[in-house]
Amino acid sequence: MGFLDSILGGSRKLKAPAPDRLFAMTTAQVTLETELGLRHREVAGIVFQPLSTADFSGIVRESEELLRGAAEDTGSSVESADDAHGYRWIKVRDPDFEDLVVSLNLISGQLQTGGYGDRLLACVFAFTEEAAGRPVYFIYNFKRGSFYPFVPGAGPQRRDTESELRLKAQVGAELPIEPELARWFPMWDIPL
Amino acid sequence: MLLTMLLLGAVYVGFIAIFLAAGAGATLMLVIIGAMVFAQLFLSDKIALRAMGAREVTPEEAPGLHALIERLCIQADLPKPKVAVADIEVPNAFALGRSQKKATVCATTGIMNLLSPAELEGVMAHELAHVKNRDVLVMTVASFFASVAAMITQFGFIFGGGMGGGDDDEGPGFLAVLLVSLLVYVISFFLMLALSRYREFSADRGAALVTGRPSALSSALLKISGQMEKVPQQDLRAASEMNAFFIVPTSVKGAIQSVFSTHPSMDKRIERLGELERQLQAGPAAA
Repeated sequence: MGFLDSILGGSRKLKAPAPDRLFAMTTAQVTLETELGLRHREVAGIVFQPLSTADFSGIVRESEELLRGAAEDTGSSVESADDAHGYRWIKVRDPDFEDLVVSLNLISGQLQTGGYGDRLLACVFAFTEEAAGRPVYFIYNFKRGSFYPFVPGAGPQRRDTESELRLKAQVGAELPIEPELARWFPMWDIPL
Repeated sequence: MLLTMLLLGAVYVGFIAIFLAAGAGATLMLVIIGAMVFAQLFLSDKIALRAMGAREVTPEEAPGLHALIERLCIQADLPKPKVAVADIEVPNAFALGRSQKKATVCATTGIMNLLSPAELEGVMAHELAHVKNRDVLVMTVASFFASVAAMITQFGFIFGGGMGGGDDDEGPGFLAVLLVSLLVYVISFFLMLALSRYREFSADRGAALVTGRPSALSSALLKISGQMEKVPQQDLRAASEMNAFFIVPTSVKGAIQSVFSTHPSMDKRIERLGELERQLQAGPAAA
């Protein structure tokens, strides 16, 4: 958002996704599992804002078919659902973490090729902290091209910021972590 | 609202004229105007929130509103603003704050009850677009320039009058100075209204881009404007001072000519949103 955009009352396009750094998650996952005791839950999701246009629905349908086709080879399963906020989730289940990342990348790639990269919101990777037995998420923000940890705390709309900051320190070297804490948006009721 | 703003501004310009006539220098005047702009930038959001009876709400208190705004912020690539709720029946929403980091968005309980989630999303996206476009700052700066323009006119007149000292031409009288500076002020006032209307269109467009649902915003605008007339008059009056950053001005009834308005007419806004919807349906290739 430049100065000129401000003067002219805003740019005419939404910010396109930042350069894709989704694959950084594959290497980071090894560290998470071996050093931090975070086991991935064999599921990950991509969330985007569906447009109610024929063109967009067509592209989503095609990408899902493509994904299902690929899933048959890798043995993963694919589900899609709309959440309470009207966003579409495409969930992939696969015991192999790399396959999860590849699958989500396929969907985001398809949408970007179709010209709808600006609709992509986030990718969410689900982990379990083995010691405490609680869920930990890593969220990839497409607009920023960066990850941040999200640890739901006890009670509704509570998050464990301390653990999140610790995770940042622990994997910051391997994962591009969002530098501004103000952009660590929580996602409640993640359907993973 | 409009008359109040105009008269207030006129009083303001009149004051400057009196000060100048009393011999205050240009530097002192600049300091006074600067202080007023400073107050507007740094205090007005708190004053406005209090005037509306709004208070900041935590994610626990308003989980739905917070979650909605969080997703819009990811999509619009904005830091999350403070979220406030005003417990009044007038269905409205507004954004405050001089910068993206200091912004507050506020919704009334009336609008949250009236609109469907998708419509509310459109309205909040409109307010976030104001934040993103830094409209509070832009309008404050614009009004600052308007005041400075009026002041320079006055100063130029008095200074010009003083130059001719010695002969019996005493330069223009105080009344003439006042009239000309008021004229300058009135012209800049209407330019500012035009600017405000333009930025409303921009915010509508921004909202449509962020949500991908221009028609949801149209339907929200229709619902809000339909509801406006039914709201008790007292609430309307209490709320009327805040029109500039409301999503719909509270007094839409009556045939106010479009040039006198801070907001474009409902029909025009809906027409433009319809145009955006058509572009959207045509797909990115056609855009």
